[in-house]
Amino acid sequence: MHNVDLNQLASLINKNVNGANATAHVPEDKKLDGSITVETSHVAKVCEWLRGNSEIPFNALQSISGVDYMEWMEVCYMFAHFDVAAPRELILKVKLTDRVNPNVDSIMKTYPAADFQERECYDMFGIKFNNHKDLRRILCPDDWKGWPLRKDYVAEKTYNGMDIYPDNKMNYEDRDYIVRQAMIKKAQETKAQ
Amino acid sequence: MQDGVVLTTVDDFLNWGRKNSLWPMTFGLACCAIEMMATGASKYDLERFGCGAFMATPRRADMMIVAGTVTLKMATRVKVLYEQMAEPKYVISMGSCANKGGPYWQHGYHVLNGVDEVVPVDVYVPGCPPRPESLIEGVMTLQKKIANERLLRNKWVKHA
Repeated sequence: MHNVDLNQLASLINKNVNGANATAHVPEDKKLDGSITVETSHVAKVCEWLRGNSEIPFNALQSISGVDYMEWMEVCYMFAHFDVAAPRELILKVKLTDRVNPNVDSIMKTYPAADFQERECYDMFGIKFNNHKDLRRILCPDDWKGWPLRKDYVAEKTYNGMDIYPDNKMNYEDRDYIVRQAMIKKAQETKAQ
Repeated sequence: MQDGVVLTTVDDFLNWGRKNSLWPMTFGLACCAIEMMATGASKYDLERFGCGAFMATPRRADMMIVAGTVTLKMATRVKVLYEQMAEPKYVISMGSCANKGGPYWQHGYHVLNGVDEVVPVDVYVPGCPPRPESLIEGVMTLQKKIANERLLRNKWVKHA
């Protein structure tokens, strides 16, 4: 990301946090954003070091987002340092291999802004943040079932006695038409190849 | 017959009063609410029609403008607010989302497909979001509907 030498930062993290196993991913295309992946169990310690160190500090957490890759899940943290002389940004990633019961340490102690971000991530992906003081749903109702942004999520038919897809209002033909057109296009593309 | 003629005239008088003092509830759900605010503000001035007094409580309101996306979480609350309003009460469904779910209609998992699933709707205002002129047109349609009502004869005398 901006104004950060990822390789240098990764080696600094490895030097200062034991077992963090930080690896930098620097894309060849300069337009794309690079990232640093660290060990899942050490993310709280890494964040503590990121905020408190004197060499390359990051004083703000911009966002936490989850990604579902079907086989595994990822949590992406975006940090920034708001300084007029040297502003910088960083993407930190952790990989969660356990998709049934994914959990990662909360970074709320170091970055209090993580409170709502982690709750949203829990709401949408069901990722549990250990040591979070108040982990409950933030957007969906409390009695909602399932994790909406997971790839294998199937929408409910009813909620509290309300029809989500009332038959008299749905245009299934239209929906089928779109699916059919997509299939035809895909078939034509594979044929052309 | 004579009573009927008298009651019709009284009805007309009451309707004239009711239709020119429609008080909406201060209640917005999404971006349509911004257009609703613009309609109430000085440029479009909903007060010309007697419905610029946005009431902060459902008890004092005659009309509910459902302005915005009705999510499933909000739908139960919309229903409670409607039930808290005093009779006679009217509902204007404003914008595509409140009419039929809008862009969340086919694939949205959390949006009610039209507010008429939970409350009865008098006037639908199409648009995404509707311009203030459209909302004014909707309000005027509702006023015409109220002007032709026979509340006294049909409801109060019949069920007395």
